[in-house]
Amino acid sequence: MRLFLRQVSGELRKLFARKRTFIGFGAFLTFEIVVLFLLRLDKVQATVRRVIENAGYDAAVYLSGLTLGFLIVLWTVLLLEALFLALVAGDVVSKEVEDGSMRMMLCRPVSRGRILLLKGLVSLFYTFGLTLFVMLTALLAGFANSGIGGLFVFAPLEGVFAFHDFWPGLLRYLAAVPLLSLSLFTVTAMAFCLSCFNMKPSAATVITLSLLFADTILKNIPYFESLKGIFLTAKMSAWIHVFDYRIPWEMMVENYAWLVAINASLFLIGWQAFERRDFKS
Amino acid sequence: MVRLDHLSKSFRGRPALSGLSLEIQRGEIFGLLGHNGAGKSTTFGLMLGHLHPDSGEAFIAGHSVQRERAKAISRVGAIFEAPAFYEYMSGWHNLQFFVSLSGIVPDERLMEVVKLVRLEKRIHDPVRAYSHGMRQRLALAQALLPNPEFVLLDEPTEGLDPEGIQEMREMIRRLRDERGLTVMLSSHLLSEIERLCDRVAILHQGRMIFCGSWKGGEPHWRLDLDDAAKAAPVLEKLGVVSGAHHLVSLRPGGDMADVVAALVHAGVRVRGVEVVQATLEDFYMSHLVP
Repeated sequence: MRLFLRQVSGELRKLFARKRTFIGFGAFLTFEIVVLFLLRLDKVQATVRRVIENAGYDAAVYLSGLTLGFLIVLWTVLLLEALFLALVAGDVVSKEVEDGSMRMMLCRPVSRGRILLLKGLVSLFYTFGLTLFVMLTALLAGFANSGIGGLFVFAPLEGVFAFHDFWPGLLRYLAAVPLLSLSLFTVTAMAFCLSCFNMKPSAATVITLSLLFADTILKNIPYFESLKGIFLTAKMSAWIHVFDYRIPWEMMVENYAWLVAINASLFLIGWQAFERRDFKS
Repeated sequence: MVRLDHLSKSFRGRPALSGLSLEIQRGEIFGLLGHNGAGKSTTFGLMLGHLHPDSGEAFIAGHSVQRERAKAISRVGAIFEAPAFYEYMSGWHNLQFFVSLSGIVPDERLMEVVKLVRLEKRIHDPVRAYSHGMRQRLALAQALLPNPEFVLLDEPTEGLDPEGIQEMREMIRRLRDERGLTVMLSSHLLSEIERLCDRVAILHQGRMIFCGSWKGGEPHWRLDLDDAAKAAPVLEKLGVVSGAHHLVSLRPGGDMADVVAALVHAGVRVRGVEVVQATLEDFYMSHLVP
């Protein structure tokens, strides 16, 4: 166990010793500030205010830091975090193979499965870490701008429209962190799986993003409305339902069970591909 | 220590190695020679489990690399192809990381090896600031950790200056002499192999065409004669084979004194006789160029 922890910490050190890792965090912070700036524009504020008031609620209470935090996360995560996770996870194995450091690792008496397990764990950690960072910084930015107040959630594609008081809202916001992380880990797992095959890191990233875009497009074609639930991105959106007045636990458990199964399958597929590969320059 | 048993490997139908079998004894320094594409790296890759053989098996310390890889390479250190470190990390952190994949090794042991390769002053600098020679020394340090019995060195002197080459050579020899390490190395510098290795294997187009010691063969002789044409029938009669650069070799059991006497008797003036021991380069070329 001690050895395993040392190996995990070695992988983490590699990840966090790279400037690129921190550039990612910086990019998110910058993007959040841009979103916050846009949300402060009068026209945007007026629109949000109108939606809140049309529902019969007080905009002064619900146009709060918590609401802004949620909006920042909603806009940031799907666009930027998926992209960034695909970039990082696409690198995890294939970049090391390309650079030659994987060959150095494979000169050691460690199984290929263990190497992948270490990298998978670090990718999971990174996904959770990045999501936590995005959600907390969004919340802090929201608080700094608009202070404490209720939470207003409006996600029309998922059919979520809800108002919560501050504490229940904050609780749901925090509960969304692990759920969103697990959803986004599917992006990580997909890029990770592809990077185990004999391909360039950029190819793993591009294929992952292409698959996600294709899934999103198919999901939104009206003819496939009845099949909507089977699409990956639909299952990944389950986290938003934690903001529903009555959380649809059954649907969420089912979706997350699917995601866990898909992620485990992706890992196994990647592992098998990695085991069978020949490593040569 | 090492046994390769009919190892074969092909890539996309093109054979890279065909039925390679050889054995390396404990404490031996063994050289693997061959042109580019002869199968040297494929052999190393198969021995380390980087490649899956089409057939055959490699055994290290009695364990099959293909069936129990972790056990087989638990006492193996390697520099395989261009060493690739994490440029943004220090040499020390690189060593710590790679060594952690072998087991828990105390920092004192790490420092001992760092001192052995004389990197202690720069070990905490990022690897991107290292010269080529320092990278090679770091590569050697990671190959010597934690405590290998068998070291595979693929082109360990590549890109080093003459001083670095000499340092590396002395270090390898010292490791064998003082620590009893078994070493298998490949290099394009035949003079280095010649100075270091007890035995060599020559690979050509994936096949082993020689394995053994190139030393101990019949020596060549350089004869300085005043009339080569007059000497030719005499030499032919005595079974002396003429080669390039005025070199000749005797038939088994032949004596140069008899040759000189016969030449003098035939009226050929012999101005000088010199023994020329064949170099590994001569030996290598004689096997590759029929």
